[in-house]
Amino acid sequence: MEVDRADGRTPNQRRPVVCTRGILHRAHGSASWAQGDTKVIAAVYGPKSGTRKNENPEKACIEVIWKPKTGQSGKPEREYEMVMKKTLQSICLLNVHPNTTTSIIIQVVNDDGALLPCAINAACAALVDAGTPLKHLAVAVCCCMSENGQILLDPSKIEEQKVKAFVYLVFPNSIASVLPEGSLRPGGEVTELGILTSVTHGVMAVDDYFSCLKLGRPAAAELSDFLRNSLKLKAGSDPSKAG
Amino acid sequence: MEVKHSSSSPSSFIDQLVVPGDVILDLSSMSNQTIKLGGGLRQDGDSISVMKAGQLRFTKPNKYWVESSHKRYVPSAGDNVLGVVVDTKPENFLVDIKGPALAFLPVLAFEGGTRRNIPKFEVGTLLYVRVVNANTGMNPELSCMDANGKAGEYGVLKEGYMFESSTGLSRTLLSSPPCPVLEALGKKLSFEIAVGINGRFWVNASQPSTVILVGNAIQKSESLSVVQQKIYLEKLLKSIQ
Repeated sequence: MEVDRADGRTPNQRRPVVCTRGILHRAHGSASWAQGDTKVIAAVYGPKSGTRKNENPEKACIEVIWKPKTGQSGKPEREYEMVMKKTLQSICLLNVHPNTTTSIIIQVVNDDGALLPCAINAACAALVDAGTPLKHLAVAVCCCMSENGQILLDPSKIEEQKVKAFVYLVFPNSIASVLPEGSLRPGGEVTELGILTSVTHGVMAVDDYFSCLKLGRPAAAELSDFLRNSLKLKAGSDPSKAG
Repeated sequence: MEVKHSSSSPSSFIDQLVVPGDVILDLSSMSNQTIKLGGGLRQDGDSISVMKAGQLRFTKPNKYWVESSHKRYVPSAGDNVLGVVVDTKPENFLVDIKGPALAFLPVLAFEGGTRRNIPKFEVGTLLYVRVVNANTGMNPELSCMDANGKAGEYGVLKEGYMFESSTGLSRTLLSSPPCPVLEALGKKLSFEIAVGINGRFWVNASQPSTVILVGNAIQKSESLSVVQQKIYLEKLLKSIQ
């Protein structure tokens, strides 16, 4: 039983993605990421010397500032900042430049659903543009569960407001490796199947959550390939588009 | 998320785009070899993985590094950079070299420098200096002398104008044989140029218009291909006749 989505997509179909890097002249790294009509610009400044007051000076500090499209920054923005800070801290290598601060500023240009995944993707592209040392990249998708139990990928704002529950998932990117198939990392875990961040809103059953994970992983792998291809183009030149 | 596994030879990634997270070398299969890692690579147990996105480069016998171009600079010993004085302390000048931390230039690190003839630099003075050491977690140390203690070309750059570029453009400008932009400009115009590997270059000429022309031409050439550069420079130099 297929649900007709308002914009004619199948349940498994993402909106077209456009990513441009090096768009801001003064920022050390910048990127804009648009998924359909949702668009976010990320700017990275740093590393700059000195850390915030209560942060460990033996590590680099990551600071996120979220600027909404209109109005003042309030509690929702603080929550986005906190989620993004934790996600980005887990992908950055913090011991390469100790006692420095890297600031990431997120400006929402338009919000049409899946805002936080779009922002995380933009921030990751901006960090690559700035040359921040990273363990790997982060790729974010959004899955939601509609009233009749169907899982939809990359909902728009209207769909997000109608559904029972939605989840933002962040995965590490697909890596190209010379190691033989199935080798383990020293920690004993196979990082290929890892998950970096998961934020859920609403109520869903555990099985539905796992179905969302199953739907989200291949979508993240596609986005990861798209990000790799878009890094081949020079910064500031033609934006890269994908289906 | 998938992992794409290629054949076990590391040469499959050389001169290709690599992305943070890619594993390019498996050390467990090569014993008794010394590998030298340059910028953008790190050792993760038994594998070498990528930290920055860029082209993977290799020179024999054993040097690997990732080549990328950014607005900020990662200090490394032996580099010649352009720094701007931001503060003076009793023992050091604090100099900004576009790195993660301010660099220290000892007040005695000048040829024939003694306590009696410490140079007086104002805030904003442009210096051509050499990075002596740049250890993790410490401020880089600079010097206005070369390794033998001679001043050479190091010191204050008076007059002229400093332009910002990326580290990739600086490397292009410093490459030998000289890059096409500098050759073409040098044939028609006379100017003096100092290039810092940290993404800054300084141009001086008898006329301010020449300085502006050279600076703009170099900055514009970064985004053009070699053929486009030739066409652009031909048009530019023709128009100033």
